[in-house]
Amino acid sequence: MDELEICYMSAGDLSRLVSKKEISPVEIIDAHLSRIQATEPILNSFITLLADEARSSARQAEREIQGGRYRGPLHGIPVGLKDLYNTRGVKTTSGSKIFDNFIPDEDCTVAARFREAGAILLGKLNMHQFALGPTGENPDYGHMHNPWDPEMVSGGSSGGSGSAAAAGQCTITTGSDTGGSIRIPAALCGIVGLKPTYGLVSRYGLTPLSWSLDHPGPMVRTVEDAALSMNAIAGYDPKDVASANVSVPDYTEALTGDVRGLRIGVPKEYFEAPLDPEVRQSVENALSQFESMGAEVREVSFPMFEQSQAISTAILLAEAAAYYRDVVQKDGDKVYTPVRLRLEAGLFISAADYLRAQQARSLFDRQNRELLNEVDLLAGPTEPVTAPKLLAGTVIAGEQEVGTVGALTQYTRPYNITGFPAISVPCGFSSSGMPIGLQLAGKPFDEPTVLRAAYAYEKATDWHTRRPDI
Amino acid sequence: MPDAKPLTRDEFDTMAAQLGISGAPDYLDELFSQVRALLAGADSLRQLDVSAAEPDMVFVPRKE
Repeated sequence: MDELEICYMSAGDLSRLVSKKEISPVEIIDAHLSRIQATEPILNSFITLLADEARSSARQAEREIQGGRYRGPLHGIPVGLKDLYNTRGVKTTSGSKIFDNFIPDEDCTVAARFREAGAILLGKLNMHQFALGPTGENPDYGHMHNPWDPEMVSGGSSGGSGSAAAAGQCTITTGSDTGGSIRIPAALCGIVGLKPTYGLVSRYGLTPLSWSLDHPGPMVRTVEDAALSMNAIAGYDPKDVASANVSVPDYTEALTGDVRGLRIGVPKEYFEAPLDPEVRQSVENALSQFESMGAEVREVSFPMFEQSQAISTAILLAEAAAYYRDVVQKDGDKVYTPVRLRLEAGLFISAADYLRAQQARSLFDRQNRELLNEVDLLAGPTEPVTAPKLLAGTVIAGEQEVGTVGALTQYTRPYNITGFPAISVPCGFSSSGMPIGLQLAGKPFDEPTVLRAAYAYEKATDWHTRRPDI
Repeated sequence: MPDAKPLTRDEFDTMAAQLGISGAPDYLDELFSQVRALLAGADSLRQLDVSAAEPDMVFVPRKE
């Protein structure tokens, strides 16, 4: 089989071949290592590549499968972890040279669960420094580049995860999402990114940014792969104080392709915010597609949407400042200046303002729950624009020039505030060939409905089958 | 609740010193600008009636 075809196959399709012994994990890993070698000079997706370790794990997986010990759909599948997921014996930098020598002696829970499922760790993925930024800038390990146009950002903070999955460097990648850091690069790179419900996937062993807003989750090329990843990593973990003790279904059972009768609400406020006309058109087309498949699409109102930036920013920067205070005081000169500015600005938020933001969060949550009593899902753009140029301080969204950070997080932050599940799926391309994402958000722990809708849309369209010319 | 007065540069410099923040003049100018914007955002939340809402992060004693 052609190596490039292997690299662009989904985990679901690869696993069907692996289970029948029609392809071996060794072939899969070799194909991906070749792909990484060819594309990494352009993309810079990785901080640490584990070529020898991955080949060794692939040989072991091959022996296990040949010996009749097939572990399941992720056995022999290449995975890349954002470099703030602790990995036993492998450095974990959080995107900063300050931590270039930090070698954890224990896997984070997500890494341990992927290992248990038989997935093969290909490497640790580049990220916006300390996960504090939506563009994928990193002076220490090099900026990340978008496979659809390397002059553009891959998005952040999980930028290496976005570019690696989109370019066929990894089958499954992971991100962490505090203000949109899974969904932003997913939308800008044309892949699927799922931010699960807060507490559903363990944060244990991930470097925090904001304890109450951080969500780990998968970044992949198909909705089925998001479901397969969740089957491996979701579920209660006593090591995470915020872990939810809920039963975890087989998420692939939700992938029926049927959305008849599903009620989809579209907050009108999403279309009153700065929004690129091509993005708006693609999202409207996607909503029409849902209607044609039998879903009921209706306009709803989400008045507190306009407070989402203020609530999220106050909470995120106060918590991030608390976590990184000692690091910045000791090694501030080694921190990327835009990141340091945001961390030090967070120190100026008073306890009263932080708690007021948490009170506002309660109201925000209440309003979102009321909306989701009327409808099953909320839909809208993931991003108001396509990927901006690297280091652009502002972007043009419709007729407005707006700050890049605020623009890239304007639709994603609401679901970090509530902790409700939200997914980004590809829903089109701009006239300049850049991907556009559709965001679908659901009720807490109702990932099955989110995945069901996303899968039905994916099956009805071919956006996810397009490949960047790299 | 009355609006907070915008932070003055002198107040910022005093607070920055108390917080142990130092840097080149250009850096502190930019930080001052960002802090003003951040506090304006936080101040906007004072317009909300949150009297019926507890902070979302409340302490819950562990059972085990």
